[in-house]
Amino acid sequence: MTSLARIFLGLVLVFLYLPIVVMAAMGFNASPLYALPFDFSTHWYEELAGNGRLIEAGWNSIWLAVLTAVIATALGTLAALALWRRTFRGRAILRILLLPPIAIPWLITGTAMLVFFFWTGIGRGLHAMLIGHVALAIPYVVLVVGTGLQTLRADLEEAAMSLGSTPIHAFFRVTLPLLMPSIVGAALFAFAVSLDQFVISYFLSVPGMTTLPVEIYSAIRKGFTPEINAISTILLVASMIVILGFARFARPGGIGERS
Amino acid sequence: MSGVDVTGVAKSYGATRVLTDITQSFESGTFTSLLGPSGSGKTTLLRIVAGFVAPDEGSVRIAGADVTGVPVYARNIGMVFQSYALFPHMSVAANVGFGLGRRGIRGKAARAQVEEALEMVRLPGFGARHPKQLSGGQQQRVALARAIVIRPDVLLLDEPLSALDRRLRQEMQVELLRIQRESGLTTIFVTHDQEEALTLSDKVAILDRGRIVQMGRPAEVYERPRTKFAAEFLGDANFLTGIVRAGRVEIAGAAIATEDRLPPDGATVTLAVRPEKIAIRPADAAGSGALENSLPATVASVIYTGTALTYMLRSGDLSLKVFAQNSDGSPLAEGSAVVLSWAARHSVSVEG
Amino acid sequence: MPPEVGAAGLPATRRRMPPWLATAALLLPSYAWLTLAVLLPLTAMFVFSFLHATPLGNKPVVWTLEQYRAFHDQPYLLGVAWTSLAIGLWTTGICAVVGFAAALALVRATAGRTRETLLILVLLPFWTNGLVRVFSWTMVIREGGFLDVFVRWFWPSAPSLGFLYTTPAIVLGLVHGYLPYMVLTCYIALLSIDDAVIEAAQSLGARWWTVLFKILVPLAAPGLVTGAILIFVPVIGAFMEPRILGGRVGVTMGTVIEDQFTQAFNWPLGSALAFTMLAVVLAVFATFSGVLRRSAAT
Repeated sequence: MTSLARIFLGLVLVFLYLPIVVMAAMGFNASPLYALPFDFSTHWYEELAGNGRLIEAGWNSIWLAVLTAVIATALGTLAALALWRRTFRGRAILRILLLPPIAIPWLITGTAMLVFFFWTGIGRGLHAMLIGHVALAIPYVVLVVGTGLQTLRADLEEAAMSLGSTPIHAFFRVTLPLLMPSIVGAALFAFAVSLDQFVISYFLSVPGMTTLPVEIYSAIRKGFTPEINAISTILLVASMIVILGFARFARPGGIGERS
Repeated sequence: MSGVDVTGVAKSYGATRVLTDITQSFESGTFTSLLGPSGSGKTTLLRIVAGFVAPDEGSVRIAGADVTGVPVYARNIGMVFQSYALFPHMSVAANVGFGLGRRGIRGKAARAQVEEALEMVRLPGFGARHPKQLSGGQQQRVALARAIVIRPDVLLLDEPLSALDRRLRQEMQVELLRIQRESGLTTIFVTHDQEEALTLSDKVAILDRGRIVQMGRPAEVYERPRTKFAAEFLGDANFLTGIVRAGRVEIAGAAIATEDRLPPDGATVTLAVRPEKIAIRPADAAGSGALENSLPATVASVIYTGTALTYMLRSGDLSLKVFAQNSDGSPLAEGSAVVLSWAARHSVSVEG
Repeated sequence: MPPEVGAAGLPATRRRMPPWLATAALLLPSYAWLTLAVLLPLTAMFVFSFLHATPLGNKPVVWTLEQYRAFHDQPYLLGVAWTSLAIGLWTTGICAVVGFAAALALVRATAGRTRETLLILVLLPFWTNGLVRVFSWTMVIREGGFLDVFVRWFWPSAPSLGFLYTTPAIVLGLVHGYLPYMVLTCYIALLSIDDAVIEAAQSLGARWWTVLFKILVPLAAPGLVTGAILIFVPVIGAFMEPRILGGRVGVTMGTVIEDQFTQAFNWPLGSALAFTMLAVVLAVFATFSGVLRRSAAT
């Protein structure tokens, strides 16, 4: 039974990773027609280096993700402090209001933003994408930091106050240092959400002001080139690294943990 | 001089009344236990003294000054939490020195005081370690050192021993008592463990549903409980309810004597008798005439625990419990007829 | 810290901000942002769905309910809705079976570090770009793609097995995209089942299938339902997967809505269709909110 279960798990992993591995491998194959035998070449990566459009879209993606991470982490952390450390009327409703960006299909959110930004004159472009990405990332940040606050015992702050700390001093000396792993984790999470976001960026992009996923999408629709494999592989590896970093920081086992 | 005075304090959460009109003095330098079951309001009272909870009514004075409106951090209290609440990101020395820093004591002077406090809790030289590297008992000591190093006006302990295993707990009780005596701090200790309260305290206050039902020296509270609840929560008790007749109480056909003042004839009263105060002997054995009260009974069951025996008995409609030393190694058989006897001063009249 | 100090060298009590003001100050930035970027746009879209035409230039604004009659006026939409529903149900069903089995295998056949590593490996692809993963499948299942090459390695004259640009291709891509959700929710649900419960069932004479269907599946039901919702909701709104993997076959509600905004420029119709879809999503949430709340509580 056990070995059967392990074989099944192995098959699931093959299913999950097979296309990714094939794609990554093809980026190193000299033939543009995916022909075998495999002929190792970095030709497509060299091509990529000369593709100004993709490079620019790549930088756009990175800047957007960095800004999203900074803004969403700052705002979301403040909101998490209120939602998890203070009691007030309407708290339950405010927590529920975090769900729409997560639970509503991005197609609907994205088209709604398109309509509204057009209507109000905000328009489309990187600034509009930033507004959208931050909104998508805030709920995740609030939830990650909130979970961190939940595992952080409130009596540590009380202990600090019993020793003479004002609430603000207690926050900076005790809560913030212990919450740091969660905050860094949340920032990485927000970065990943933005870096991989396609649907919202797609509706809010204008030609010449796109992100990497949008550019990849239009390239796929126009026809394959292994260059796309190369850039896709880079994007995959980048987001895997970011997410493994998140797991490292935000998992229980950071210094904020209970013994 | 008075350590802590609580006057007319009441607290409700929504419709739930947690504390009702608490007025109590905690004398300077004494060790007082707040003893009660969970939900009795003992922790809320401690947190009101600490300043984490604001009372709805009443006032709190610490060392003579009214602190009712003063926030926690300006009260000069020392508190030990149930979970110790040591700062996991700071060394032991930084933990202990935290309160000194808040009082403007830094550098050499602070280091000396920290080391002195660590010596007092028998952890000299532990300053560089981190809380994670310490055992439960050691963390407990650090928490205590952190609370006493600032020379607080009152030391508040919130069930600090409940997380320790039995042996360590007894060891810490001795330590706690020594440290309290050496430091001379006014101490308020919250616990639900009656044995702990009796061992440690100068005074025990018993809380029941938001009220202090009795406060006094441990022996006083144990020997002369004022209410049924106090008698039952602190130790074990038999309750005998009967009608007053000619200075005695008629129960199950016997007239029970007590030294307490009784209401006039015809009133119903309840007497509490501790199970270990009752002597038990077979009905056919020679009587011990020295004890004022005697009651015939039948052994219903015997619980054998090695050093002691617990007899469950019946006398008419009454169920009684008696603790006896296992002195001759042969317990009385179930169903045997016995006579129970006890002194008049051990029949304590209690309120319902 | 300010030099003013109170008794015993402690900071003096100063007038503090009223608590509600501090709370509001903490919450305002996030919720203002969410209002601007999500709540107001959804409202605006709702308003748009009652317009006759996209308000461009000086065209007069005409209010109408006609967009919500689209399913009546354009019967082909019913077929599209059915396709979307079928894709959603197939995807959710396959994910439920495979995901539950994988979670069960993780919980019962692995332990410690191995289990942790395997779980991370299963979840990792989920956090990579969905678009790129969908694209990668085209390389495997297209005619002459990796699948064909692999099969012809053993049987050189095999016919092509490529099925790119079919509905199964869309389902395959979606299952690949959303399977980790189901593994995770089932894993959490199965992990909380006490071993003793299973042993108790076995001691009472239950065989493995009885244990599976009478103990494990019912106890893990909240995980299965949560996973199913988390998959079904985004899948019925999918448009990129049908486009890439379905080609001309891939006409779903998602692609129809997208078309209204990017090609046909009929925003009111797109808005009405999006809100109809949102109503379906909300209905799904409302139906299962009890189960979701219970699983969130544990």
